[in-house]
Amino acid sequence: MMKDFIPYISISLNETINSLSFFYPEFALGLGFLLVILSDLFFAKKFPQLPAFVALLSTLFAGVLSFNMLKQSPVQLFGGMIVQDHLSTLFKLIFCFISILFVLFVRYHKDLQSSNKGTGDLFSILMAVQLGLNLMVMSENLLMVYLSLEMVSVGSYLMVGYLSNSPKQSEAAMKYALFGAVCSAFMLYGMSLIYSFSGSLDLFSAQFVSFLSTTPFFSWGPALIMMLIGVAFKLSLVPFHFWAPDVYQGAPTPVTAFLSTAPKIAGFGILIRLLAPFQPLSLSGIDNSMFSLTGVLAVTAIASMIVGNFGAIWQNNVKRMLAYSSIGHTGFMLMGLFIFSVSGFKAIVFYMVIYSIMNMAAFMIVDEVEEKTGKQDIDEYKGLGKSFSLLMIAMVVVLVSLTGLPPTAGFTAKFLIFSAAIEAYNSSGSGLIMTLIIVGALSTVVSLFYYFRIPLNAFLRKSDDPIIAFKNSPKSYISMFLVFLLLFFIIFPSAILGHL
Amino acid sequence: MNHLLSFLVFLPLVAALVIILLPSGFRDRFKHIALGTSLIQFFVSVFIYLNFNNSAAFAGVNKESQFQFVEKMAWIRLDLGSIGKLEIDYLLGIDGFSMPFLVLSSLIMFVATLASWEIKANLKAFFALLLLLNTAVMGVFCALDFFLFYIFYELMLLPLYFLIGMWGGVRREYAAMKFFLYTLFGSVFMLLVIIGLYFSVLNPATGNHTFNMILMMDPGSYLGSSVFSSVAPQSLLGISARLLGFIVLFVAFAIKVPIVPLHTWLPDAHVEAPTPVSIILAGLLLKVGGYGILRICYSIFPDAAIQSAWWIGLIGVVSILYGALNALAQSDLKRLIAYSSVSHMGFVLLGIASGTAEGVSGAVLQMISHGGLSAMLFFLVGMLYNRVHDREIANFRGLALVMPQYTAFVVIAFFASLGLPGFSAFMAEAFSLIGAFTSQEVNGLLPRWMAICGSVGILLSAAYFLWTLQRMYFGQTRLKGGDKWLQQLKDVNTNEKFALVPLAILAVLLGIFPSLVFSKMNASVLAFIQLISG
Repeated sequence: MMKDFIPYISISLNETINSLSFFYPEFALGLGFLLVILSDLFFAKKFPQLPAFVALLSTLFAGVLSFNMLKQSPVQLFGGMIVQDHLSTLFKLIFCFISILFVLFVRYHKDLQSSNKGTGDLFSILMAVQLGLNLMVMSENLLMVYLSLEMVSVGSYLMVGYLSNSPKQSEAAMKYALFGAVCSAFMLYGMSLIYSFSGSLDLFSAQFVSFLSTTPFFSWGPALIMMLIGVAFKLSLVPFHFWAPDVYQGAPTPVTAFLSTAPKIAGFGILIRLLAPFQPLSLSGIDNSMFSLTGVLAVTAIASMIVGNFGAIWQNNVKRMLAYSSIGHTGFMLMGLFIFSVSGFKAIVFYMVIYSIMNMAAFMIVDEVEEKTGKQDIDEYKGLGKSFSLLMIAMVVVLVSLTGLPPTAGFTAKFLIFSAAIEAYNSSGSGLIMTLIIVGALSTVVSLFYYFRIPLNAFLRKSDDPIIAFKNSPKSYISMFLVFLLLFFIIFPSAILGHL
Repeated sequence: MNHLLSFLVFLPLVAALVIILLPSGFRDRFKHIALGTSLIQFFVSVFIYLNFNNSAAFAGVNKESQFQFVEKMAWIRLDLGSIGKLEIDYLLGIDGFSMPFLVLSSLIMFVATLASWEIKANLKAFFALLLLLNTAVMGVFCALDFFLFYIFYELMLLPLYFLIGMWGGVRREYAAMKFFLYTLFGSVFMLLVIIGLYFSVLNPATGNHTFNMILMMDPGSYLGSSVFSSVAPQSLLGISARLLGFIVLFVAFAIKVPIVPLHTWLPDAHVEAPTPVSIILAGLLLKVGGYGILRICYSIFPDAAIQSAWWIGLIGVVSILYGALNALAQSDLKRLIAYSSVSHMGFVLLGIASGTAEGVSGAVLQMISHGGLSAMLFFLVGMLYNRVHDREIANFRGLALVMPQYTAFVVIAFFASLGLPGFSAFMAEAFSLIGAFTSQEVNGLLPRWMAICGSVGILLSAAYFLWTLQRMYFGQTRLKGGDKWLQQLKDVNTNEKFALVPLAILAVLLGIFPSLVFSKMNASVLAFIQLISG
């Protein structure tokens, strides 16, 4: 028995060795992970900011290495476990960007800095999570999908409960972990079903595709949907969104900002990979029934937009409001998937870049206000336009961008997604996609209503509190830089689009 | 010389940045910067007016080569894979339809800035927002690329929201939000139509999908099988796609105009807005709606426009009558004028719907004339409110004895607005009605009774204006506030004269020499009629 495998050993060894050269960014992150732990263990007393610095450097390094691979043609690595292509490199660059912002955010976050746990462990978790994120968007084997997803999930649970200085935070972490565990169980079950049907775990193998084309939707559909539940959890799509508001509110704000962007974006990456083999079967066809992949996705997107946007109206806590709004945004981004082609991916990637800028900036500003005044509720923002004038103007720009109005890049992003959806409608003529587009348009109007409660309170209402002029912290300068990016990218969208 | 339009559009933006960067110590200079900006804009726009070529070879409308002061620059190029390339240009240019609005905009902005003397709080933000709004309005009238147009169009909303919301009256939050939601509702769906349009249109020169409005007007540049193709009509949600596209765009602009029944944001916004904002709202933003209908709805979807002419005419008539009847019932002077705006803008729709040269010329003149007159009316109300913080009609009587000069201006504004011959509104409304009246014979679009009902609207406007004049300004002086008010009610000061006199001159000048506008836009009107009648 064993002898049969011997000839294969050298082949797979060669393959692995050849693959290594495409794996540099991940090596950088892995190395970063070790160095952060070491620096935290041995030098934390003397140089408390060393772990942050190491994390920042290795992320930057990974970013540069990924950037060099941007023009690389697609290659399968490690025997078809992961694939390195243009799209995954783009995702990786977005993760680097978010991680850098996260490190800076944590650096200037009071609660985390003054905690007796220190921030070293947080950064080592970040490195591991980022490695998981990279693997997530590269994986093309179901096992790899599951492993990388769990790697990110476990890291995320730890990040949410990192301080656990209040029952609320522990509750959030607990909820997140339990919910996540159930969803990943579903996912695993779906994967095992698919495997038992097709006999292959490789999403792009001939076996996999031939199985799909010979089997009706009713048999593989439920299995695929179970598999997608795991991803839907990461994306906080309705009906797997219940954890989001509690976790967003309970977690330390930098973690919230991170969770609302990076894992979500990775979720999209994995969604694109998972749907790719199914795409010729049902996404492009004239399939118009609810019981199809298109139907399931469209209904999920519609439900997410409605629940997210209408849910946000009733929220009074700013972070909860942003949580609901991010559910709506995910539903909106899904629209870009219905045209499963370059133009759709471009729209989604552009939206993600802008979305991460907006969300990071929003959470930074919210955090700054919370640290300086302790205010977390929208009602309490009354009159803040006077004491935080510059910061609140920045906030208005961010909110305008989140609504998707000019003159901010949020508009260009929204425009591209709508374009992709209308292109999908043009090619399919599906009434469901039309409904999706109309719901997307209406949810924009609804979102204006709740986003603008912040400027409404900050600028239109007056508070009785005395006006105190606050000094801007480095965090607020970072957020202002992000706001500048939002204004910059509407005039020069090619700065991003040129690389897509 | 080549960048005159860009200069006109972005000068206020630069001024706004200057105001933001100046320390608050210069607080008292902000208004002068804003005023200087609008003055420079006014001179530039007059220069453009004088140098504007009105011959048929420069008619514009649906021929890019015939536009004047054109500026074109590639802006966004995006490769969309299978469906080709996307092409967005920075394209500015004017023809006979847009040029008069540039002059009007700069004049109204000048008056609005003068009216801002009453603003006392948070001057930096106020003037920065006012100038930002100025940029947006100018941009809307100059943009010929739909993407660019949309950006300017939406850019108007933000400053207005804050201008109404921060400096407005008691119910300002409600009014600002209502205004914002109403307009956004219209424009979000407009965005969808824009996207549908660019998928349908190819630039024959480059083979790219384009946002160029002028190419969108040419049936030849549509892809045969596209959504909005005029060759092979498609249907969307059960009705013709082109008709649906027209309706969506029309509703978006009609909310701005506004038409009955989508007008309910207007009285609230006007009553709560501070005077300068009311002036801009009535003087310019309503016109953006009318301009959009001409430039975009009608020009891009002429077939659908002809198809729906009867309904548009009807909406115009209903707006005229409903607005006028409502105005009769108002007890607040500012609300009365707000409703009179609804009524007067109805003539614009009626004139456009007629599809005749007279009607369309009348509609554009009505917009220019109403722009000046409504600005004057709101300015006058603002003067009263500033002095005694009241504008209930019943609380004033015999103001003519207290403020004779003020009353003289009111008389001019009222008589001009109610359509007395010799003033601009008469010419404009007369032409709109002539257009509507002859439409039955010329092209059979509108029945005669619409014109007749429209003229009843003039009668009604005479009724409410004259009645108000009689109640508030004539008779024995009796004021609710007694002697205290008598003290406060000072007559027109120099500053206010600077604002009122140009507007009064405009009303008289256009009433006597309507050809000042007509001659400049005649070629464009004819080209437009030719475009829509196919």
